[in-house]
Amino acid sequence: MSVSKDEVLKIAQLAELHVDDAALPVLAQQMSRILDYVAQIATVAGSESAPPFIPGPVSAPFRADEVRPAPLAFGPKDLAPAFRDGFFLVPRLGQFAAGADAAVDDE
Amino acid sequence: MSEGALLDRLAQAGPLHALLTPLDEVRSGVAAQATRPPAQGVLAGVPLVVKDNICTLEYTTSCGSRILEGYRSPFDATAIVRLKAAGAVIAGKSNCDEFAMGSSTEHSAYGRTNHPLDPARVPGGSSGGSAALVAARAVPAALGSETGGSVRQPAAFCGVVGIKPTYGRVSRYGLVAFGSSLDQIGVFGDTVTQAGRVLSVISGRDPFDSTCADRDPVVPPERPRDLKDVVIGIPGEYFPADLDRGVRRACERAMERLRALGATLRDVSLPHTKYAIPTYYIIAPAEASSNLARYDGVRYGPRFGDPVDVRALYRNTRGQGFGPEVRRRVLVGTYVLSSGYYEAYYGRAQRMRGLIAQDFDRVFGDGIDLLFTPATPTPAFRAGENMADPVAMYLADIFTVTANLAGLPAMTIPIGRVQGLPIGGQLIAPAFEEARMLGTALALEAVVTGTEEA
Repeated sequence: MSVSKDEVLKIAQLAELHVDDAALPVLAQQMSRILDYVAQIATVAGSESAPPFIPGPVSAPFRADEVRPAPLAFGPKDLAPAFRDGFFLVPRLGQFAAGADAAVDDE
Repeated sequence: MSEGALLDRLAQAGPLHALLTPLDEVRSGVAAQATRPPAQGVLAGVPLVVKDNICTLEYTTSCGSRILEGYRSPFDATAIVRLKAAGAVIAGKSNCDEFAMGSSTEHSAYGRTNHPLDPARVPGGSSGGSAALVAARAVPAALGSETGGSVRQPAAFCGVVGIKPTYGRVSRYGLVAFGSSLDQIGVFGDTVTQAGRVLSVISGRDPFDSTCADRDPVVPPERPRDLKDVVIGIPGEYFPADLDRGVRRACERAMERLRALGATLRDVSLPHTKYAIPTYYIIAPAEASSNLARYDGVRYGPRFGDPVDVRALYRNTRGQGFGPEVRRRVLVGTYVLSSGYYEAYYGRAQRMRGLIAQDFDRVFGDGIDLLFTPATPTPAFRAGENMADPVAMYLADIFTVTANLAGLPAMTIPIGRVQGLPIGGQLIAPAFEEARMLGTALALEAVVTGTEEA
């Protein structure tokens, strides 16, 4: 089986990943190569009925449902480009740039 | 090791391009750790480098990716907390394939790492920087991570000891997620004893990781195991007709020496081995595509350009922030999880994984204590050799990926060289039998020299 350029674009949209037009042919070819290769497991006897395997405990243990301080060396203020009054400040997106609502403009 | 000696050794290893942390940051990072109480414990004063996908307070954690360039974690991974408590000194972050996706460290956004014995070759990957720094004797031990062989494969290529613990043996709190049903922190050491000591420190239950097993730390054996009553299985599938002749010779010599120590070697079969790579390259990308959704320019990652809306923001950040291999895997993972393909790919791969795990259950239930195999099908390959064909690169992990799929502990130890390049022998043990594996590795280490030609 092979993946077309249109299919790669559709998958890229689902993955929220920008793909350059120039990169599409090689990407379609490489994805086809990988998907062709992995598809061989469909031919293995028993692989349609074997029980699925995921390692580790069957269920995760629960801890008491209580508020505990996060053991962080520094807080969100130092993680963000800008932070004020408990909020992260980020650049305004283009779709809001023109005629922006004054109510959300806190400058 | 004194701080000056450590910095000298890291500086000497500079041409390998294995350490991502600049030396002046190592100096200040080591100094910041020295303000703690005087080092005590089993790793007192032992410097370790840490793969760049494990969170550390003193150094940035970029996962070898542009998308996390300069990222500082507000906490230490549990493994790091425990290393520090045992007196170890964290001496910087090592290069790796971007988000641990690769088998050569060529997929790092910060440039490739050279093999310590031949700069034209790769050190393996994805934890190639850690392997190269231990092999170059810059540090006696290092942390890496495994999803499909990313500790054992570079350890084998570089001629050092590499351990992948049982799934759940070591807390993953602070390990940046790639494939969550596979990921495990692993250890590199210049000797089996050194690697075992580090494993004993970082293993054991952790309330911060609900997938960490409720078990005590590994107790590493102090002396080699008596192999007189030990039955070692030799799976035929790991010795195919086209196996590199040097790898075969080195393994056969190691097997003769195991036999001379009194071990019984028995041929066994793990018939689904050949499907491990295709199974892995469905499951790992599927889980990666989900785990890497958080790098979107909002939760993590920089913004590129001047996006008009939020989807353009996501797409720019992910399109420009991820390198080619990560992009491929995110796309393949999205494809195999998408409506109409889920059962044919992801569902089938989970069942295939069941068959692979059953192969191991059967041999371990049939009187086999451990398995011995080559760690890799070839010695270290040349840089660029496998970059054009992603599937060719994937096949470098053909002998390691099975233990990840089955969740088993496995390790590689150097068993000789062929034309100057190291060869690794692999031991695979039943789940949570790390001590058995380490005891056998100590016995083997005592009778094979990693530097002798096979």
